[in-house]
Amino acid sequence: MAKYAMVINVQRCVGCHACELACKAEWGVPEDMHRTWVKPTHPTALKRGGGLFELVAAFYVGQCNHCDNPTCVPACPTGATYKREDGIVVVDHDLCIGCGYCVDACPYGARYIHPELKKVDKCDFCAPRLEKGLEPACVETCITGAKVFGDLEDPTSEVFKLVYEENARGITSPEVNIGPNVYYVGDDKKVDLIINKFPPRKPELPTPASLFEKLLKPLISLGVVASFLGASVAFFVQLFKGEEKFE
Amino acid sequence: MRKEIFEKFLPLTFEEREELKKKKLKKHDIATIYLHWFNALVWFVELVTGSALIISKYYRFTPEFWQKIWLEIFGSRGNMLKFHIMVGVTWIIVLLIYGIFGYRNYLLGYIKNMLILTKDDIEWVIKRGQLILGKKVTLPPQGIYNGGQKLYAWDVAVGTILIAITGLVMAFHLGGAGTVRWAIAIHFLGVGMVVMGLFVHIYMAAFMPEERQSFFSMFTGYVNELYAYEHHFKWWQEMVKEREKWLESYKKEIEKELQTHEEAKA
Repeated sequence: MAKYAMVINVQRCVGCHACELACKAEWGVPEDMHRTWVKPTHPTALKRGGGLFELVAAFYVGQCNHCDNPTCVPACPTGATYKREDGIVVVDHDLCIGCGYCVDACPYGARYIHPELKKVDKCDFCAPRLEKGLEPACVETCITGAKVFGDLEDPTSEVFKLVYEENARGITSPEVNIGPNVYYVGDDKKVDLIINKFPPRKPELPTPASLFEKLLKPLISLGVVASFLGASVAFFVQLFKGEEKFE
Repeated sequence: MRKEIFEKFLPLTFEEREELKKKKLKKHDIATIYLHWFNALVWFVELVTGSALIISKYYRFTPEFWQKIWLEIFGSRGNMLKFHIMVGVTWIIVLLIYGIFGYRNYLLGYIKNMLILTKDDIEWVIKRGQLILGKKVTLPPQGIYNGGQKLYAWDVAVGTILIAITGLVMAFHLGGAGTVRWAIAIHFLGVGMVVMGLFVHIYMAAFMPEERQSFFSMFTGYVNELYAYEHHFKWWQEMVKEREKWLESYKKEIEKELQTHEEAKA
């Protein structure tokens, strides 16, 4: 089985947003929603030796990271969000009810609720295109070749080389590291800047979801089991006693 | 039969018991019987599919094999959800039809007979509990439904409303994501509420030897009068009086009919 990953060369990205547009065109993403996005870090002064400063700027190209331990998957109450064997995290629209538990659970803000479909949507590495042997739309359209897509289990692939032989890094923090499969290479300073400016946020569960998980589930399970046991005990007593022959 | 037994709940003589045993009272209308079993079937189907639909680690409460069985039967979870929604919507429609067309006979009846708790009902619940614990107490006389049944009727009424509304909210994304996310938890709460009472209801109504009459009345509609006297005295009293009146008018009607028949013949 494959393990798909994306590598973004921050040195090459010129912030033209072509990937974002290609994605919107391909999947009908609403105007103010994103499956993938480009955000500028803005020029930032970094300290250099000898009391000097250096201005660094980069473009953060974000999307679903198809994490190894996705926090969105267990948060989904219907099982609409799941991780395929090839590593792609997908949303089954037949099952999604648009509650948005997963939206809160994603550290990257990679999910949105589609205003017309009322279902959650996000990057799926263009899974339907992959089936046709095509590359993801954003990769195909990137004018500088900053986006590289491939299989991490294939040692001859470009992503394999970039991830394992160069210093490619996912967007993680000491608190949040769920194994993202979108990597950033190029200039270490720029990658650092992106990670500092756009760190993953702590995955959260909305109040009703944690209420369900932490309170309702144990409480109701206990109540149902107790009720069943009570009725069972009464029936065992009845079995032991027997019934009147005549009434 | 002694006159006093119509006025006050008394221990019956052998002859009175035998006589009452032979007589029957109608406890449930056919419509009620059908609704009860329709509801039971829907609950069963919805519990099975609903429990098999919740697969995520945080909320799951059934083992994996259970989910696999139903997944294989339905082919996909998408199908299972569609089926779950279809059955649920049918259930709501049927309940609404009963509520609208049967407003006077069945909905008001449900509210009057099952939801209004009297002092005797509350006393009954307390004493019934004491009886289970082995204390020797006598239960106060009850109407057509006893205090326990009424409590469960409340449970079911509240649960049904919660389940139906939250189900519609989730199925049709009513009120946006902010509402849907609460509906999930409340749907589960509603189901939990009724299922907790369900085992007690099933045992008390279908398994207990003393309630045999009550169980079979959910098929035939009838209970014998001895059971009615002993378990639902207030209802028995009322019914016997009403029947007396009805019998008189019924008798007159028949006589009139025969008379016209005779006249036509002549």
